[in-house]
Amino acid sequence: MKATRDWFGEALVEVAERYDDVVVVNCDLGSATKTHGFKKSFPERFYECGIAEANSIGVAAGLAQEGYRPFVASFGHFLSGKYLEIFQSVGLNDSGVVLVGTHAGLAIGKDGPTQMGLRDLALMRTIHNMRILHPADGIETRAMLYYIVENRCPIYLRLCRQPQREIHDPGYRFRFGWPDVVREGERIVLFTMGGMVEVLLDALDELSEHGIDPTIVNVSSLPVDRAAIARLARQHSYAFVVEDHFIKGGLADEIARIILDMEEKVRLGVWGVADYGQAGSPADLYERYQLNAHGVASRVREFLVTRN
Amino acid sequence: MEKGTGRPAPTVLEGSQALADDLDAIYRIDRLRRLSAQTRLLLLEMIYRAGSGHVGSSLSCADIISVLKFDQMDWQASRPRTESDVFVLSKGHAVPAWYAALIVDGEVDPTYVSALRRIDSPFQGHPDRCRFDLVDVSTGALGQGLSVALGRAEAKRLKRQDTWVYCIVGDGEMQEGQIWEAVMYAGIRAVANLIVFIDYNKSQSDGPLKDVLPLDGLTEKLGSFLWHVQEIDGHSHAEIRNAVIRAKENRHQPSVIIAHTRKGYLGDDRILLDGAHSGTLSAQDFEEAVRYLGGLV
Repeated sequence: MKATRDWFGEALVEVAERYDDVVVVNCDLGSATKTHGFKKSFPERFYECGIAEANSIGVAAGLAQEGYRPFVASFGHFLSGKYLEIFQSVGLNDSGVVLVGTHAGLAIGKDGPTQMGLRDLALMRTIHNMRILHPADGIETRAMLYYIVENRCPIYLRLCRQPQREIHDPGYRFRFGWPDVVREGERIVLFTMGGMVEVLLDALDELSEHGIDPTIVNVSSLPVDRAAIARLARQHSYAFVVEDHFIKGGLADEIARIILDMEEKVRLGVWGVADYGQAGSPADLYERYQLNAHGVASRVREFLVTRN
Repeated sequence: MEKGTGRPAPTVLEGSQALADDLDAIYRIDRLRRLSAQTRLLLLEMIYRAGSGHVGSSLSCADIISVLKFDQMDWQASRPRTESDVFVLSKGHAVPAWYAALIVDGEVDPTYVSALRRIDSPFQGHPDRCRFDLVDVSTGALGQGLSVALGRAEAKRLKRQDTWVYCIVGDGEMQEGQIWEAVMYAGIRAVANLIVFIDYNKSQSDGPLKDVLPLDGLTEKLGSFLWHVQEIDGHSHAEIRNAVIRAKENRHQPSVIIAHTRKGYLGDDRILLDGAHSGTLSAQDFEEAVRYLGGLV
């Protein structure tokens, strides 16, 4: 069990050994975002900008324009807060910057809503050339790091703080935009990403007790392939989205838009965080917001009951 | 042929190097006088045809851009900027001056003079490198260009490349917090391949800078952030050129050149639109300016 931010820190050093154009722009959060391993191995490629995210993003855009592959790491909440800088210096320059936003969702716990990455996806989805990656485990994190260094587009890599178990086989191949079916069931398809994949898998026992046998899909990259999502939705009569993010603007909106455009009728439900969040232990928060295994199982059951 | 002079290097007799240098400078300044007048003519024609654009701000930095493009920068459309100098216009609203300089220098076809602010045009109202790769950095929302310039300068240091990154920021733009994040970083990290001009035209959108939020003590402020600071007349080609040469001689600090300019500056006794930030050019204003500048070309 390890957090995706830890796997990221290790994989970053691994790819940086093979790709000497990989550089890191840091915003005084190297220990929290796990870029310190890179700093130790490659100090000459490590740029410390201090607590100055706007300048860090600009510096990274300049490094990218000169042919480097810069990773800027901070809490996702802080990084995506520099929206105008990302829009212009990264997006409108088509600069190959990798924005690494850690501490996704409620998991930062007691530090509360001024630190929680709960609206980063909503903002990054509006940057037209931005590719969003949100791995579900260490195997996928490592695969995504190789995808990142072999491509040059702007990237938002969303990472979690909470420990997660491996859900993929070591031979897993990441394919951008492709929904990753982690479990096949029938009648209802659950779309989710990141740390919530494991939570949905943990909810299977409780769902099964109520005769619910869902398909679970890890939508680990956005924009997602529309046809593939539509095909999955078509194969099930019900679709339900679970995300550790505001319900507004994130994965739910991405999936809803695809389903709205379909000719066939699919019943859609969504679940995520509906307010600013608050301080509390991660366990208490995930229980309070019904984003732990029991919580999401309850929401899925309620959805099926009310929409039947 | 020497770069920028358009004529053979002067023959140097033994012991007369200083004289040759003086003559060379005179040739260059004379040439810059003509080319900057052509640049002003073209940028005014572009804005007049477009029906909108930042006349005053484009004119205030036209001499700085002229010295950089026609004399000091190693910048050609045909060469990737990853291997040569980089130019960042952080005050992106002055971009007509850059487009005009590209046309004057033969980098872009003169027919583009009618392309400014037109739909699907490479000459967007603010620089957009996704539509026109002869702007090195997309800018427009103020405060960001200096950071990108800084990143490019750091990249060139990492490559051990002996090139320069130039950036022009507006005086009003110095009010943006991000500028000071970049200033702090560049000074303490001694990013010495970065040369920044502040187009100190003392006016911003809502009126005179002194009435909005003055920048008093700019020289002291930037010096305390460990920058090499020079203060010049931003309409004197000789002073601009000498300041760049001195900036390049300093290999230990980033350089900032505070260029005192005037918004709407056409020539010594001519200010267009009373120095307005983005006024509309009437046919009469335009024709009078063209007549005046025609006399300088």
